[in-house]
Amino acid sequence: MVKEEKMIKITDLEKFYRTEEVETVALNRLSLEVKKGEFVAIMGPSGCGKSTLLNIIGMLDDPDGGSYVFNGTEIAHYSERKRADLRKHNIGFVFQSFNLIDELTVFENVELPLIYTGVAAADRVKRVEEVLDKMQIMHRRNHYPQQLSGGQQQRVAIARAVVNKPKLILADEPTGNLDSSNGNEVMELLTDLNEQGTTIVMVTHSEHDARYSHRIIRLLDGHTVVENIMI
Amino acid sequence: MLKNYLKIAWRNLIKNKAFTFINIAGLTIGMASAALILLWVQNEVSYDQFHEKKDRLYTMYNRAVFDGNLWSWNTTPKIMAKTLKADYPQIEDATHTTECTFLFTVGDKKLMERGYFTDQGFINMFSFPLAMGERKKALVDNSSIILTEKLAKKLYGSNEAAMGKTVKIDSNANFTVSAVMKDLPNNTRFKFGYLLPWSYMKKIGWDDEYWGNNSVQTYALLKKGVSLATANARIKNITKSHSDQKDTEVFLHPASKWRLYSQFENGVNVGGRIGTVRLFAIIAGLILLIACINFMNLSTARSEKRAKEVGIRKVAGAPRGLLIGQFLAESILIALFGGILALLIVQLSLSGFSQLTGKELVLPYASVDFWILFIGFILLTGVIAGSYPAFYLSSFKPIKVLKGTFKAANALVAPRKVLVIIQFTTAIALIICTIIIKSQLQYGQNRDTGYKKDNLVYSYMNGDMGKHYNAIRSEMVASGAITGITKTSAPITEGWSDSWGYSWPGKDPNARLDFNVFNVDGDFTKTVGLKIVDGRDIDIVKYPTDSLAMLLNQAAVKIMGFKNPVGQIINNGDTKWHVVGVVKDFILQSPYEPVHPMVIQGPSSWFNIVHYKLNPARSTAANLKNIEQIFKKYNPDYPFEYTFVDEDYAKKFAEEQRVGTLATLFAGLTVFISCLGLFGLATYMAQNRIKEIGVRKVLGASVARITRLLSIDFLKLVIISFIVAAPLAWWGMTEWLKSYTYRIDISIWVFIGAGVISVFIAMATISYQAIKAAIANPVKSLRSE
Repeated sequence: MVKEEKMIKITDLEKFYRTEEVETVALNRLSLEVKKGEFVAIMGPSGCGKSTLLNIIGMLDDPDGGSYVFNGTEIAHYSERKRADLRKHNIGFVFQSFNLIDELTVFENVELPLIYTGVAAADRVKRVEEVLDKMQIMHRRNHYPQQLSGGQQQRVAIARAVVNKPKLILADEPTGNLDSSNGNEVMELLTDLNEQGTTIVMVTHSEHDARYSHRIIRLLDGHTVVENIMI
Repeated sequence: MLKNYLKIAWRNLIKNKAFTFINIAGLTIGMASAALILLWVQNEVSYDQFHEKKDRLYTMYNRAVFDGNLWSWNTTPKIMAKTLKADYPQIEDATHTTECTFLFTVGDKKLMERGYFTDQGFINMFSFPLAMGERKKALVDNSSIILTEKLAKKLYGSNEAAMGKTVKIDSNANFTVSAVMKDLPNNTRFKFGYLLPWSYMKKIGWDDEYWGNNSVQTYALLKKGVSLATANARIKNITKSHSDQKDTEVFLHPASKWRLYSQFENGVNVGGRIGTVRLFAIIAGLILLIACINFMNLSTARSEKRAKEVGIRKVAGAPRGLLIGQFLAESILIALFGGILALLIVQLSLSGFSQLTGKELVLPYASVDFWILFIGFILLTGVIAGSYPAFYLSSFKPIKVLKGTFKAANALVAPRKVLVIIQFTTAIALIICTIIIKSQLQYGQNRDTGYKKDNLVYSYMNGDMGKHYNAIRSEMVASGAITGITKTSAPITEGWSDSWGYSWPGKDPNARLDFNVFNVDGDFTKTVGLKIVDGRDIDIVKYPTDSLAMLLNQAAVKIMGFKNPVGQIINNGDTKWHVVGVVKDFILQSPYEPVHPMVIQGPSSWFNIVHYKLNPARSTAANLKNIEQIFKKYNPDYPFEYTFVDEDYAKKFAEEQRVGTLATLFAGLTVFISCLGLFGLATYMAQNRIKEIGVRKVLGASVARITRLLSIDFLKLVIISFIVAAPLAWWGMTEWLKSYTYRIDISIWVFIGAGVISVFIAMATISYQAIKAAIANPVKSLRSE
């Protein structure tokens, strides 16, 4: 169910990495669009700029050139503080290595984004329980990450990504550290979320996972080479 | 939010027990040391600042030129207070004090106690509250006495029992207790058990109106609105205008400077104890900083572990400010634990520390200010310790951290190196200072006193001792308890009197030369073991004219310019003394100063003390028992009290000993805290480089080589610290030694010794971790890859 409204419009995006001797081009005048409600997979060989692109879309990094319009607002030159503010209300992240805080329980990990968006404590409990229930890990709420399997950890990470009801979820190889059965479960979860209206941009190496998306964008040397529309 | 911070902080503390232990132990020791020192500093700076009228209170100083130098001193004529009050409208009130020691008799109780002669002005000007009695009348009557609570309890059991009672003093005078004064606080220059009215001193003929006799402390209270400059200008010439003492000027010294700024050089205030107070305040700050540095270094060295958390929190929407807040909350939590433990340590070590500093220090638990300061101290420590880690850790970029490209820097990056250098510079400088202070102390102790201290004892002459002295002396000699006895004006360890009133043939009439004055009756040189270098001892039995005989010391002969001193006549007013001998210089006052010129006057003078040499052939206990019996026989009202000269002489080194012990203690603690941090860093480094060590071992590196590799970076830092510390310590100690005329030369060996000690301690600290890492089986570390 693809809506025509654009969520992300990137035009001629550039990003360089400089060391003392070498300048590496990570993104080379890259342009792309993601519509609201779309599920997009980004693929390409290592070093092609996939993660750089995802970080810029996720407002964790800023581009060196070009334009990035998010929900109709140009944000390419936003300050870190403004980006952080926009990010915490709009974007959820899912990482390959789950990135849960070891010292916090499942419940506390999922609660974290709500704390930073200033949700009241009672409301937080309700919303966290709701999302844990949905991810079927409610029974693990008081466990620590190291007490969970990889699949469970990733479900906690997804719960954390969606607890704030973000409009966009960015997933960076979400099944990379999982076996195929757990991987499939995670992909089903993401598909469900997408079907409920959340826009998803996923970086992946896996053709299998990419097939869950509506569209695959293939990158090579920092720019788009081809786009496949999935049927 | 705060709950979340504390939760994760607490879990981190529990999880990393070794680092938590090092951090809390270091901070606890650092905070406890700093708190003890600050308690002492606070006591020093608060001296006599509790008097309500402190801003208008002054003590009087004289100043005059002697031997070409402008000297300032605070003993003044007895008549000065009265004159100030009568003739100077700028002065609202004036008073004076002089110390006295009397025997107190209440029923069967007999106690020798020290107190002051003073007057009602003292009660009016200073804020010493009374527990009982009326302030206005307390010292008006010449038969009234004020006791402190302590003495009232000792004599009567309670304040109530003491009030209005009659107490016998020195077996011949009765006084009525008119008031009981609350015990003196531990931050006042005044030390007394009782106050006696000045009018009594007059009655027994101890008062005088001679402007040349500087023997009491005089205090003035200026009227409101009168400036120090105005008052000084008016009273400057008080002595000149009231007497024939035309060379002496007077000035006021404010209460705010009594304790810490009491030294004058050429008429200018050059500080005093403030130097020591500043030095120890700096040491307190440094120890605290060193403990905080441990926290900074260990927190940032472990950054790899925390980096992931920072990244996740940032992605979850945490702004940097909140993360800084979180890390500060953690360091403050650790500081809180440290602070509570430190308070416990301070409480436990307070009595020992009080003994060390020679003053009774207490923790004022009942004071709200104390708790505010305590919390402030914890917050300050937490913020100092946590600020650098907080800014450092919160600066991580989430993309690097979360993609795993983030690598924590080596355990010894530049900022941490600087911090370790600060720690070891302080530690090494303190080691050097300690060695030098101890050497100077020993140098003074080893200096030849010029007389024989062993078995030499003195007692105060009181009650009927003067009357029966000849009988006492004969019986003591006959008993075999002593081998020599002599009456003197003062203990041989103290100079009680000096005078510039002497003249002799050939003296420059314009020169004002000051002499220590010591009175003896005979057998002085034999009893105390002094060497006669010319002439003979005073001997009234053999030479009846010896009542006006005089001995000079070598310094006096030199300054008087005599080639043949024996036979010379020395005038003091109308008295003509004839020199019969010259004694070798001996130390009367400071063992660190040159011997002052001294005149030793014969039997036609006043005496307070009897010195006697115990018979070494018999036991000390038996000797003292014999003497006690003889004293009791002739002076039954007074307890037998005696002082060993060697013990008394040792007190001259109390200040140096105190500074030396404190320096040793704090140098030791500084070294310990620094090593604790170094151990933590070495542990971290060994963990961090475990793979590198494994690879090197597989490639054939020996254990010794790897140990060296791991130790060399730390060793370099210790050597740099030494290079920074050595000149700093040399400069500081050269300044410190300047206050001693007799002082050591700072030897190069002190520095070599301190350098070797510090390198040894640092290497011992690191080597455990380095060797452990070097001998570990490389297979284990490489397999985990």
